[in-house]
Amino acid sequence: MVISPVHYIAVPLLAAFLMPLLAKIHRELTRIVPGLVILYLGYVSVVLMNQVMAHGTIVEVIAGWNAPWGINLVYSPFTGFLASMMTAMAFVIWLYSYRFKKVDSQPALKYFILFMMLVTGTIGIVLTGDIFNFFVFLEITAISSYSLTAFYRDRDGAEAAFKYLLIGSFASAFILIAILLLYTQVGTLNMAQIAVRMHDVPTHMKITILILFLVGLGIEAEMFPLNGWAPDAYSQAPSPVGVTFAALVVKAGVYGLIRIIFTLFDVHGAYEYLIVMGAITLVMAELAAIRQKSLKRMLAYSSIGQMGVVMIAFGIGTNEAVFGAIFLMFNHAVIKGLLFMSGSYLVYNTPNKEIQYLSGYGMKMPLISLFFSLGALAIVGLPPFAGFWSKLYILIAAADNQMIGLIALILGVSIVEIVYYFRVVGRLYFGKPSKGSIMQKPTYGGVIAMSLLAIVILVVGFYPDVITPYIHNAADALLDKAQYIHSVLPNADLSQIQNLK
Amino acid sequence: MDTNSWISILGFIATVVLAFTVGVSYGGIVRKITARIQNRVGPPVYQNFFDIFKLYSKSTAVNHGWMQHLGPAFAITASVTSLMFIPVLNGQGEFWFANLNFKGDLIFLLYMMVFGSLGMALGAGQTGNPNSAIGVSRGLSQMVGYEIPWVLALVALMLQTKSTSITGIMDYQIAHGTWMMFESPLAFIAALMAMLGMFHYAPFDVTFAPAELSSGPASEFGGKYLAMMMTSGSIFAFVKLALFVDIFMGGASNLIMLVVKTFLLYMVPVLYGIVSPRYRTEQSIRYFWGWPTLIGVLGVLYVVFVR
Amino acid sequence: MNSLLLIILILLGGAILAYLSKRISPMLSSIVSFLAITSAALVFFFLANDQEIVKISLGDFVLEWGLNAYSWIFGAMVMVMATLASLFSIFYMKGKDRLGYFNLNFDLSVMAMMGILFSLDWVSFFIFWEIMTWSSFLIIVYNGISEGKIGIKYMIFSAIGGYAMLLALVVTRSQIHSFLITDLIHSFAGFSGNMQALLGLLFLTAFGVKSAVMPLHVWAPRAYADSPMSYTAIFSGLLSKMGIFGFGIMLIAVFSHSVDGTIFVYREVLAWLAAITSVIATFYAVIQTDAKRLLAYSSIAQLGYIVMGLAIGTKLAVMAALFLAIMHAIYKGTLFMVVGAVERQTGITDMTRLGALIRKMPWTFFAALLSIIALAGIPPLGGFVGKWMLYESLITSDHYFLIILAFLSSTAAFLYSFRFLFGIFLGQEEKEFENVKEVPFTMVLPMLIGSLLLVVFGTFPGLLFKPLASAMSFLGMGDVSWNMSMLSNGWGDHVDTLDVINSVVIIFVLVAIFLGLKNRKRTRYVSTKDIHTSGEIPTENENLTYAVDFYKPFERAIAPVMKRKMDFYYNKFGEGLETFFDFLRRVYTGNGQTYAFYVIVFLVILIVFSQQIFF
Repeated sequence: MVISPVHYIAVPLLAAFLMPLLAKIHRELTRIVPGLVILYLGYVSVVLMNQVMAHGTIVEVIAGWNAPWGINLVYSPFTGFLASMMTAMAFVIWLYSYRFKKVDSQPALKYFILFMMLVTGTIGIVLTGDIFNFFVFLEITAISSYSLTAFYRDRDGAEAAFKYLLIGSFASAFILIAILLLYTQVGTLNMAQIAVRMHDVPTHMKITILILFLVGLGIEAEMFPLNGWAPDAYSQAPSPVGVTFAALVVKAGVYGLIRIIFTLFDVHGAYEYLIVMGAITLVMAELAAIRQKSLKRMLAYSSIGQMGVVMIAFGIGTNEAVFGAIFLMFNHAVIKGLLFMSGSYLVYNTPNKEIQYLSGYGMKMPLISLFFSLGALAIVGLPPFAGFWSKLYILIAAADNQMIGLIALILGVSIVEIVYYFRVVGRLYFGKPSKGSIMQKPTYGGVIAMSLLAIVILVVGFYPDVITPYIHNAADALLDKAQYIHSVLPNADLSQIQNLK
Repeated sequence: MDTNSWISILGFIATVVLAFTVGVSYGGIVRKITARIQNRVGPPVYQNFFDIFKLYSKSTAVNHGWMQHLGPAFAITASVTSLMFIPVLNGQGEFWFANLNFKGDLIFLLYMMVFGSLGMALGAGQTGNPNSAIGVSRGLSQMVGYEIPWVLALVALMLQTKSTSITGIMDYQIAHGTWMMFESPLAFIAALMAMLGMFHYAPFDVTFAPAELSSGPASEFGGKYLAMMMTSGSIFAFVKLALFVDIFMGGASNLIMLVVKTFLLYMVPVLYGIVSPRYRTEQSIRYFWGWPTLIGVLGVLYVVFVR
Repeated sequence: MNSLLLIILILLGGAILAYLSKRISPMLSSIVSFLAITSAALVFFFLANDQEIVKISLGDFVLEWGLNAYSWIFGAMVMVMATLASLFSIFYMKGKDRLGYFNLNFDLSVMAMMGILFSLDWVSFFIFWEIMTWSSFLIIVYNGISEGKIGIKYMIFSAIGGYAMLLALVVTRSQIHSFLITDLIHSFAGFSGNMQALLGLLFLTAFGVKSAVMPLHVWAPRAYADSPMSYTAIFSGLLSKMGIFGFGIMLIAVFSHSVDGTIFVYREVLAWLAAITSVIATFYAVIQTDAKRLLAYSSIAQLGYIVMGLAIGTKLAVMAALFLAIMHAIYKGTLFMVVGAVERQTGITDMTRLGALIRKMPWTFFAALLSIIALAGIPPLGGFVGKWMLYESLITSDHYFLIILAFLSSTAAFLYSFRFLFGIFLGQEEKEFENVKEVPFTMVLPMLIGSLLLVVFGTFPGLLFKPLASAMSFLGMGDVSWNMSMLSNGWGDHVDTLDVINSVVIIFVLVAIFLGLKNRKRTRYVSTKDIHTSGEIPTENENLTYAVDFYKPFERAIAPVMKRKMDFYYNKFGEGLETFFDFLRRVYTGNGQTYAFYVIVFLVILIVFSQQIFF
């Protein structure tokens, strides 16, 4: 069988549909099959990434219809990197959630079906070269996310899911309207084609469409003030779902935002918009995080804050900055994944998942506490852990653009970040243990998952070169708009396309 | 050893004997004067010699440990070493005890002089007598008080003469044919006020506070220890006076001038003390950080901006 | 193999091994840590030389490590004191929990310090700097005092410092496209005035935090006092010196390439801040009742002198500062070990309860005595040499009011110096401490080595002047003259330390022999309870030691200065911020309708202001 990007979408989708049948054969299959699927996707990733590194962007045409008429998947170094990263994270999440709850075989089926859908959706968002398809995948992602948020069927979960649904439907509506308007203007749904024809669109129309996209995707990318749904969803969803949101869903949202701004449109103001909104998102999220009593909410706000930094970095828009941003996306997926995973074990049995009950857990749950501390050290960007490098790259990029105030802002907010993370770490190790706290023994899968993430953090921290070549290529690919169009539409007229910045 | 070394060793010994004699005699005189002013007959002038020699000859009954033992040794080391670094005469007359005059300077001397107090304080601490500790606490606190105007005065001198060594300051006075007390009067006043504290006479005698603390740090010392401490104290009094004379009064060209100048200077704290009541520790600290410090600051500014 | 890399790897490996070997035996963990540091020290002293360069390329950065005359001084200091402290640590930490954790961080700190010293570029400098920060944070919270509140404070201030440095170094890079420290030194003069001012301020803030200069010092007293003492010995003695190391690079090498007015102002302001720091910290040290806190404040005060010297920046001042830095590492390291020894044997460090340990722990006392003499700056020990040069440099460079502050601080230092010795070792014996014994030999040895070093460097300061002079000429101060045992200032005044020590030793020995021999037989050796009490005989369990409110009168005298602590303002500021954050947080109401409303409003705003935003 020829490995092609379409497997990313077809295989998990197929698995999701087959799983109810497989469950009839043997209950355990509901748990095993997703893992096998993701492993296969991992293999696909390895093969395709090697191909891409060697030969450049792969464009997969579906059903023989060539672009711009058919639907196509674009596996460039950038999208490929994100898809591979998501696959890897999905695998870790699968390991973690393999037996997250011991006695719930029936929910496990639902859970893994939804999870497979989510993986399909997020990877589809990243890979697709068609704007309507993009919308479809976004919907798949959104709907499975809503259901997963309400997975526990308790009051808080339902409330969170409802908020998510409410805000999410705004997003869908805006994006759909934007796509419609866009189609009326350019008459195509192919993203490369849109990019080619974009400069012909009247400015006011262009801006209106852009704004609709920005708001719609801003919701998915957790941009302030559109991110009200996020903390609730993160904290009420089952723990592996929180990780999924941080590692997959948000990444897909940010990807959408970036693709729209970098490739589809040629509006310079959008970059400044990204910087400003990123900065506001960052500040608001971190300031909110410091006052949180619940660990998961704290992590959620922190996650939003990191996305703010990513947006800032993309907004700066130089190669260095984009490199830093992609690096940070990667780091954030890994580190926040580790934090969510270990954090949810820490607060497993505490009332309201509050931080104040965590005193002295370091002695009782040494391994989990160690993972959490490692994550905390890494996420605030302390060397020699992974988070440091991305931060350094972003700051260097900002400094090269004379944005000293911005650097000061990012660093100032980092101090806030340090305060709330180290508060928890200090409490974990050195608080007096409170009475009656019940420990939750982590599953083997969970321990392996967390160990994998921890190893990645350490390896990337000590030797970032394992990952930087891929990210460099990814950044080049994202910035090289002409190349993107050329690889999708070999015959397009590129004279009007200028590579931004 | 060659002749020069012998001569210098003789010089050392002669200096120590001189300092001891002058210091002890002044002590006796002070007792006499105090008595006369208080309308008593008072002991003979040479009473202090008797006291010290008697104490040396007596056996010491008790000992509280090796720090008590070393305390007086520290004290006497400090006073004798300081003495070695202070020019007794200014080199214009016939006798000249060079000792180690050129080997150290004023700042060194300031620290050397503290060495003894700290040693004594440690010795006193070892004895376990609460009076000693209280005395030490008071004495050290008060020292922080008077050091400030004192250092200000010295800084003024140093800035003016562009030298930090005693011999340098003396040379400046000889070269300009003047005394520093006239050259920088403000500094002199500040130093004089600091000197009141340095000699621990009333109103700044809270450290030893007779009738309140037995005799403060020395409460538990007797026999050879007390003798040592009295010796050290006498030499130290001479050191301070000689230092004052050297840096403010152009030094002394011969022994008689030395005696006259030091005696006059000595009478300042003594006479001021006899008619004063006792300050509490914080009062004396505040006193030193008040006018004397202000005058000292003015003295420095005077040197910097006027001269 | 390259010896610099080897040192870092030995320490890193030692850290990991120490962590792992705790499973076998806690004691083994400490021994492993000691052996790692010792072997690193051996490599450093016998193999390392300034020809070696390590280049590691990571990401798009090239990390360069090397050794030079300046960093050699600090490296030697770190290696010696860390070896002593880790030797001390073996028995000091015996029987405590989480030894693996402790030793891991201990070794990591040492590694980070060596890394900082080796760094030739700012990226590795920063990496090691931050490793040092978090490893020390993890040790500060180790004792679990006040649930990490102190740790957080330390972390916040370290972060302020660290991020100031990060900002400075990315800005530097955007200017010169290089992270090399030497490149900054050479191109600093070419920067615009604003850039110089900005970079100067940022770097000085970064180093000011670690060297606890006011107003960035508030983390230090508790952080020093609450860590285990064997760590504080290097925390106060060495980690703070990394700030001094950085100050040296900035104030001497970098700033000397600029004749700009701003830099001059920085120097003066820094010198004054340092002087005020040293005075206030000394006052606080005087009123402490806990020996650890006393030493912690004293450290801050001493660091004040060192920074002052560097800020003044004349040859003599820099020499004084570097000399004092080394001396401070030695005597403060020794003193913290002394407190550690006392704490281990008695369980407390409260000077109002301790007392009369001199007979029980004579060697500890001896080390404490020599270190205190050095700390107080009394001749003939090492501390004096540094202080003398500092004063001389202040007066010869016309900083006449700074010298007064320095003197005030150092005179007041006598108070706490005496208090320290008296409170712990002198006074009347407590029944509670009847069975206290001297600490084991491996704890006594490092303390004695420390005090011996003080004597040696006090007598032959030239032993240090020689490397210091080459360090200073490396930093671009030209030739610095020095003598083996002669101190001299710019006006031609001098002190001959050899004569001083000869005179002191001869007189002291003569007097001591006299005192010792004279009717030795007839003197009765009595307990400290047997004292003159005006006929009133205290009962057996009555302790008359004057220990509580020892310097009450002095406290009353300085009361106006002490009314408000800097801490107070920071806490208020922090509370204010948190309240403000809490207010902002309410944007997230938790209400779905509000969020939907936000979305609509945001969309409307974007559309209405699209002209302004996107064109």
